[in-house]
Amino acid sequence: MNAWETKVINTFKQIQTRLEATPHLQRLGRLFSETVLIEIDGNEYYLTFEKGHIVSVVEGPSRKTPWRFALRTDAEALDKFWQARPEPGFHDIFGLVKIGRGRIDGDILSLVKNLRFFKEVLGLARAKEEVAA
Amino acid sequence: MSIEPITGRYVTVMIEGAPRRIYFEEAGQGRPVICLHTAGADTRQWRHLMNDAEITTSNRLIAFDMPWHGKSLPPEGFETQEYLLTTEAYIETILAVIDGLGLDRPVLAGCSMGGRIALQLAALHPEKFSGFIAIEASDFQPAWYDIDWFHRPDAHGGEMGAALVSANISPYAPASERWNTLWMFMQSGPGVFRGDLSFYTKDDSLIPRLPTIDTAQTPVHIIVGAYDLTCTPEDAERTAKAIPGATLSVMDELGHFPMSEHPEGFRPFFVEALEKMPKRAAEAA
Repeated sequence: MNAWETKVINTFKQIQTRLEATPHLQRLGRLFSETVLIEIDGNEYYLTFEKGHIVSVVEGPSRKTPWRFALRTDAEALDKFWQARPEPGFHDIFGLVKIGRGRIDGDILSLVKNLRFFKEVLGLARAKEEVAA
Repeated sequence: MSIEPITGRYVTVMIEGAPRRIYFEEAGQGRPVICLHTAGADTRQWRHLMNDAEITTSNRLIAFDMPWHGKSLPPEGFETQEYLLTTEAYIETILAVIDGLGLDRPVLAGCSMGGRIALQLAALHPEKFSGFIAIEASDFQPAWYDIDWFHRPDAHGGEMGAALVSANISPYAPASERWNTLWMFMQSGPGVFRGDLSFYTKDDSLIPRLPTIDTAQTPVHIIVGAYDLTCTPEDAERTAKAIPGATLSVMDELGHFPMSEHPEGFRPFFVEALEKMPKRAAEAA
């Protein structure tokens, strides 16, 4: 695992920890028990949610891990997404899609039904300022 | 304690051959300015400007809830109807409200679908207005989402709609106003946001009409936020270029709901837009 991959895994672990300290997200995600694939520059990361908690963060590649939906992007885009005030387009996962820096695959309706939860969970790694996901 | 200068009343007008009770708010005196809310929302989006004493000293801001929105009830028999807004019904509604309130050629300021219909009216009924402020407005936007997501029995359309449109709010927006803006979408009636989006994402009839707009008769000023994913600055620029004489301002730190998500950031752009409009209807050529 190179330094960047370690940083990404640590960021997802940080999200996992912060989620445990964010009661309103646990409430919003109480019906969400799915595995989500985050693909960054072709590297796979599987985030498994159980009733609003992240129970595992596993690096791929894996051909046997089923996932509900996937967000595919690149490292630079994700770094910008996690800034306190991202540039236009990098401020939202659908922004990444719109500017051609992200793709969402799989059961998109599952994502949309849990959209506020998922976006705010991903935003937990955002640099601190008074900024919502 | 403070009581705001905004007053709210109801006017009943005929739309599509049937009476509709329309809720409207107003503040100020002088030049009338009709303010149109976005899809899935209501007049509350305009409350900051309506509470702005400097603006209302010489501008009578009037905002109304479209039928099915806010405090304007849906038509009788709505329980068996599928709400799908059309350009024709939208135009008829706005003209009926203007006539019902006895307004003489107001300025029309509309955001998002309100901006789209403002440009339609600039092309089709310019004699009814003195100028147009089209905010987050463009010629046409096909959906980058499935509008049917927002009206289904197994999920809350308002909550999903709010989560989707949050993508269009700038990270510079104060958190309190971000959430006040989203609350309106969360409150939207079942199927209403979907029905508004049907108009916004399926009717492309404005495109060939843009070059026919006569800005010498009625000025057109377009305002767009850089964080708007739905109507991007490129979309607004393309639209402005297609209207001879139209002007454009880009707001670097705002999104798709500027008057609501970030009132302070939007204010100077709205003041600039008002300055581009004729002072009185009589001055309109």
